[in-house]
Amino acid sequence: MLNIARTLPRSAVNGPGERFVVWVQGCSIRCPGCWNPDTWSHRSKVTVSAADLVSSIIRTSGIEGVTLTGGEPFEQAFELALVASSVREAGLSVMAYTGYELEELTAAAQRSLLRLCDIVVAGRYRQRERTLALAWRGSSNQRVYFLNERYGPASMPDRAECEVHIAADGSVTLTGFPPSALVE
Amino acid sequence: MSAYITLATPMIDQECLVAALADMGFGADRVEVHHESVPLVGYEGERRNRTAHVVIRRQHVGDASNDIGFERRPTGFRVHVSDYDRTQYGRAWLRELQARYEHHDAVKHEQLRRAMREAAEIEARRLAEMEARRREEQRKELVEAQRQAVQQKARELGYRVQETREGDRIRLVLVKRVY
Repeated sequence: MLNIARTLPRSAVNGPGERFVVWVQGCSIRCPGCWNPDTWSHRSKVTVSAADLVSSIIRTSGIEGVTLTGGEPFEQAFELALVASSVREAGLSVMAYTGYELEELTAAAQRSLLRLCDIVVAGRYRQRERTLALAWRGSSNQRVYFLNERYGPASMPDRAECEVHIAADGSVTLTGFPPSALVE
Repeated sequence: MSAYITLATPMIDQECLVAALADMGFGADRVEVHHESVPLVGYEGERRNRTAHVVIRRQHVGDASNDIGFERRPTGFRVHVSDYDRTQYGRAWLRELQARYEHHDAVKHEQLRRAMREAAEIEARRLAEMEARRREEQRKELVEAQRQAVQQKARELGYRVQETREGDRIRLVLVKRVY
């Protein structure tokens, strides 16, 4: 079973095109200043089977792919590789965030998940290198890897992006890389 | 990782706010409710710049404390707590207040639904329906106010805003050319 924090069925700022975004629960790295410290704990939050998650993703119309973020996706690599494999079969692309460097991802399941990704954004979040000026990244040391021909540097937006969702009850959710002034 | 930050659900229902304050130890005898906002008062008795509609006067807050106020705005009640009082009435206190508010809001919502469904008396049902309509109008106004507030803030920060709607949900994509 996967331990996830939440999902967002549709976002335009978490990779190329419209994407289903999965924030996994649990991260051992715990970078100071992380956007989502509530996703660090490995305690169960929402448990879901890979098959059920795939079903939710595939049922969402008009998306180009799925983005795995967190939390640390590569700490649940085995289950997420199952998800990635199925969504690829459905024609969707896979992008993943990781706080690890690629060379640190040496376990078999982690290598499997890597092979199923089209794009990986890798590297620790470093608060002193925080930036809102780079597409898809929160700190300038992080790197974007295009792992096959599906996407390339031209797929990256040349602009800073974030997204605000206002729900029916008036609650506000921000995703992407929002400036602090928007969060306050 | 990209952010996922949920801001607290705004408090818009005055009755639920007052009930939440009562749960936190500030019952009706310690809370003033005003139709028009009134100035808050500081620990030396001086008028402060802030005004509020729901006020806990300083003598109920603590020694050398200032008034705590809740000012009604289109985007929900805005809380005014002085820097001095934030040690006791800071984020943790506000989180608890928010949780109590959401509890009372949910209870009220359910009571109205039940009353509309079960009320035998036409008058009782009519009153429940009126209150439910008022809350629905309030909700729509809040969503619109939130939308306008985000739009304005985004523009001030130099973002261009692309807005889409999916059912009751509004999505604002903020973009800014940076290179």
